[in-house]
Amino acid sequence: MENEVKTIPFYNRLPFILAMILLCLLMVGHLVLSLKAPVKKLREIRVQYGFVQDIKNPVNERILTDSAFLALMKEKAYYQSRVAMAATDSIYMTINLGDSTLNLEISGVVVHTAEIKKIKLSHILKRDEYPVLNMLSTPFVITADYSTIKKEPVMIKMAPKDTSEYQPDIIPDTADYEPVNFILLMENGVKIHIYQGEKLRAGDNLNRFLFDLRDRLRITTSTLFSTIRFRVPEYYPYIRIRLARADSKRIYRALPYRGQAGLYR
Amino acid sequence: MSGLNENDQRTDLFNLTGAVKYLSKLKDQIATLPGKLKENEKFILFLKKTFLWFSVTAAIFFIFVFFIWLVPLLQEIPSGGKINITNSAAVKEDASYRRIIAVMERDLRNLSRKYNSYTSGQSYLVINTTDNRFQLYRNKQMIREGFCSSGSYKMLQTHEGKSWIFKTPKGKFTIKDKRVNPVWTRPDWAFVEEGLPIPSRNHPSRYEYGVLGDYALGLGDGYLIHGTIYKRFIGMPVTHGCVRLGDEDLEVIFKTLSVGSKVYIF
Repeated sequence: MENEVKTIPFYNRLPFILAMILLCLLMVGHLVLSLKAPVKKLREIRVQYGFVQDIKNPVNERILTDSAFLALMKEKAYYQSRVAMAATDSIYMTINLGDSTLNLEISGVVVHTAEIKKIKLSHILKRDEYPVLNMLSTPFVITADYSTIKKEPVMIKMAPKDTSEYQPDIIPDTADYEPVNFILLMENGVKIHIYQGEKLRAGDNLNRFLFDLRDRLRITTSTLFSTIRFRVPEYYPYIRIRLARADSKRIYRALPYRGQAGLYR
Repeated sequence: MSGLNENDQRTDLFNLTGAVKYLSKLKDQIATLPGKLKENEKFILFLKKTFLWFSVTAAIFFIFVFFIWLVPLLQEIPSGGKINITNSAAVKEDASYRRIIAVMERDLRNLSRKYNSYTSGQSYLVINTTDNRFQLYRNKQMIREGFCSSGSYKMLQTHEGKSWIFKTPKGKFTIKDKRVNPVWTRPDWAFVEEGLPIPSRNHPSRYEYGVLGDYALGLGDGYLIHGTIYKRFIGMPVTHGCVRLGDEDLEVIFKTLSVGSKVYIF
């Protein structure tokens, strides 16, 4: 008995097996429901932005898949959203995939143009389909944003009680460096990810990865809650853009909290 | 073998002596086996544990990757039915098709005209507060660009709880008025900031001469585009919300823009 080696039980088998079965079920359920999410989103878009037949002047619905019609529709959607945004005095953003530019505009005047280094679109937004193009004719409104930099870098300064306490302002340190990555969540569920496109400092890529991971964790947590309740989770069609750091910073700081955006593809 | 006689040599066909020697060695080795076995068992246990930890780590990693990357990736597999984009001549012959296309072309022309009308041929100024730069446009062409200073984003707080935030407003503005040799009417915060008592509204200490440069253009709500005596700060976010320019830039802008001209600040 002296030489016998005792193995310490690593787990109690039954609860472990049950936990594994539950985990597998959760994974399968999550996968099935998550795969249903884009279909549900597309259905919602079709209901909200689908073609409404005019009873007086009925239209052959085969027109809606005609290439010339869709090309015109794309152009019209872009102009419609731009005109709607220009009607406000606010700053807005237009993403033009045709010439790979992202413009900042105020009342129809382009005040800044940034070159897009890389872009990736969700498959829903790539669809040449009447409801999707119709959706693009309405400006996207920002409802929330997540960022690695402050929108307004406010510094608090206490007023001196008298002239003896007065100290002149220190010249701001403009050499401060922060990587610029941000995500804009729009009212219609579209998410615009704008990430720094170049590696200027050692931690830039890691910062971008961690920022993206945080967002993925946020979404996964909410989708898991939906899975547990046997509900199809929310699907967020995305637009992922890589820009120069300076451009990303200008755009993020310029856009108001409930700013607008338009997409042309 | 030399010690064996001829008969012995004949019977030792299978080298029995060697086999006996080998078996005795094997017996000695078996005698030491329990100790060695114990060592092996420890090693096997260590291997088992390592494998178990590795498997658990790999499983956790897989679950993490599954939820975080794999599911979103699989969601991007095109779904919702294939769209068949057509270019059928039969459809193009349809009267409703021609009507719809005509309406859309007309709408597009109108929208395009309306949109282009926003960018007027008049002079306007664009101010970038993030980089503290300006661009002056005339007839849709940029005629001058340079540095300026904009709001510092400082929030001045008094011990009584009053506060002011020094930021340049963003959006579309109109030049409301133009002044030569402007006089700065110091607001309350200018006194609070220096720890001075706030004087009455028209007190002489409120008026300061020569600090705003030669010209000023009013944007409304007390915001101005003006010159400065602190020229080394041009290009930095140091102002209380106004836009400061260098003397030469200010003069060109003052002469180019008129009352009613647009200023776009972002």
